[in-house]
Amino acid sequence: MSKEIEVARDVLQDNSQNAGTNRQRFGRDGVYVVNLMSGPGAGKTTLLERTAEALGQRVRMAVITGDIATTRDADRIGRHGVRALQINTGGACHIEAHQIARAADDLGVGKLDLLIIENVGNLVCPAEFDLGEHDKVMMLSCTEGHDKPGKYPLMFQESRALILNKMDLQPYTNFDVEAALADARAINPTIEVIKMSAWKGDGLQAWYDWLLARMAATKRG
Amino acid sequence: MHETSVAQRMVDTAIEVADQNGGGQVVGMRLLLGDMTCVDAETLSFAFGVVSRGTRVEKCRLEIVRVPTRLRCRTCGAERGGDLLEPCVCGLPGGEVLAGRELRMDSIDIDEDAALAAGKQP
Repeated sequence: MSKEIEVARDVLQDNSQNAGTNRQRFGRDGVYVVNLMSGPGAGKTTLLERTAEALGQRVRMAVITGDIATTRDADRIGRHGVRALQINTGGACHIEAHQIARAADDLGVGKLDLLIIENVGNLVCPAEFDLGEHDKVMMLSCTEGHDKPGKYPLMFQESRALILNKMDLQPYTNFDVEAALADARAINPTIEVIKMSAWKGDGLQAWYDWLLARMAATKRG
Repeated sequence: MHETSVAQRMVDTAIEVADQNGGGQVVGMRLLLGDMTCVDAETLSFAFGVVSRGTRVEKCRLEIVRVPTRLRCRTCGAERGGDLLEPCVCGLPGGEVLAGRELRMDSIDIDEDAALAAGKQP
């Protein structure tokens, strides 16, 4: 004989609980936390190098970066005078909330104003794992194609801002900016858009202004 | 391959719930899986088979129940199925997600005879 037992529980409940604990802690500590997501090679690390150079002296910032292997990203970002902590996910395609809790301990987040989490490069999995961040920011580069927001809607739907990167390369590709934005806005009508070339530097000021404004807004509560 | 992380949690949760209910083999599980989640049912079934091996969930029959996407138009309030880019009758795409994000364990079945005979097993 077998008996049926009602469970009625979200499978990722433990991650959501850990994310909730992180969120409370970040609120208490007054640190603004961004979860930066994109496919691999969109330019997240380059953007964070620039951000570290530009803001590292003005705000107390740190970066947590997730990759399957190597400490290359943390090494790159760390050269620009901010603390960068690498999480190696060992094959997993995303960062989970408990890993952020541990990294936050190591970094001493209470002493920070800004923490940026560079998620594992992936357009699918990170969407399912809340980390306790204030904002998700999605980055899409021109070389990936304008059809991506429509094909991978979840991550675009959950993001507060969309960075269109590698705009310097756009004339050499068939990337249709309006088509990409039409899909992104159909999925998420309030998404804010920042166009840039992190490598060349165009549009970076708008990103810094956005970050500082969001930082101030979360501090005010 | 986050299906493996998901499958591991399914096994852990099933064992935890079984223990709260007298222990025993978990012989069945019903999972609600929304069409909008980034979890693939076939990959999940495979991962579940692999990570449950050698546990009390090993012989579990996994039933995955698809939950279709339900959207409510932000403009006219009409409800519809389909995906976010398919426009509403009013012509606008997008909308509030009412259903389709589920990744939820609905129930498990426990073999009571095995529970009584063997007591709690590791």
